[in-house]
Amino acid sequence: MRAARRAAQFAKFRITELNLVPLVDTLVSIVFFALTTATVGELSPVVPGVRLPEAHVGAAALQQLTLGIGPQVTLGGRPIMSTLDAARAPSNDPTQPLLIPPLYAAMRVAADSIRRADRIAFGQPLDVPLAIQGDKSMRYDLLARMMQTARLAGFRNLSLQVSKQEGPVDSTAAATGAR
Amino acid sequence: MASLFHRSKQRRAERAPVTAHGNINLVPLVDTLTSIVFFSLLTYQGETMMALTSFDLSLPPVVVTTPQQASQVKSEKDVLNLLLAVRVSNDELDVEHSGNGGFRQAIKGLDAAALGTLQALMTQIRQQYPQNKDVLVIPSDDVAYDNIIHVLERLRLAGFTGISLGTRARGGPAAAGPAR
Repeated sequence: MRAARRAAQFAKFRITELNLVPLVDTLVSIVFFALTTATVGELSPVVPGVRLPEAHVGAAALQQLTLGIGPQVTLGGRPIMSTLDAARAPSNDPTQPLLIPPLYAAMRVAADSIRRADRIAFGQPLDVPLAIQGDKSMRYDLLARMMQTARLAGFRNLSLQVSKQEGPVDSTAAATGAR
Repeated sequence: MASLFHRSKQRRAERAPVTAHGNINLVPLVDTLTSIVFFSLLTYQGETMMALTSFDLSLPPVVVTTPQQASQVKSEKDVLNLLLAVRVSNDELDVEHSGNGGFRQAIKGLDAAALGTLQALMTQIRQQYPQNKDVLVIPSDDVAYDNIIHVLERLRLAGFTGISLGTRARGGPAAAGPAR
């Protein structure tokens, strides 16, 4: 008698059906955003105002501290100086004629911040790569100054990020071009 | 005011299970998908991000001139057995290496044909010296960044993975104008 009453009480709470629609909705959202962030989340964006050169090969361009060289020189999206000023800036170190002092100061701040976060001794070179996104019309002497300034600030690993071009490389090998 | 019939019909509809009569309520799913599409379109940067590729640069090799520097060399694999360099100017590519008593070849121009010749020559050198994967690229000051990237691309296609950019010694600041 008591057992029958107890069974009748529990019968009220028996699940007769389970609404799976919210579960499906949530899973759709999770799968979508998981796929999106897994494929493009760690990749690097293009610095605005920079016309990048194009290449068919190269490694995946991952999100890194980026030095942008367009009309403005930017570090991590923050404008440092105009490119014209950077090209004209004289070095203040006679032993390092390629140094760009304002850019060096900004890079030292960024490098010291990384050193503090990674507990690396001050003055030690960093393994964290610095990505460079430069305008394709830039002369090499300016790029050389930028790279040298970055290395003096502690960034020994540099990565040149360019636009990826699809399709095969034009492999016209003209033997007449060699002498 | 709703009639008794309408109210009872509404109550029946509210009490009806989600899968009644074999139907699934797709409205929440459509709502969620609409939200996803809206925010995806709003924040879409995938095309610009996927369109990037990178060339990781190595540090240029150091020429050892003193016994102190020689003592810092940790192992034999740190020592280059072939010094290979590609000089890039606006009208010529020069390939030089230290193998077989010295090698030098000039390739006229910087167009697609010249780059093709460079790739073929560098592939040949790579096969000749399979242990060497390093190459030093030394562009002239007035060479455009675009042309340097094209040279790096051909070197990568030729199988060189340790690519470094070198600079010639100079004393003054860089020129401000664009490359020619």
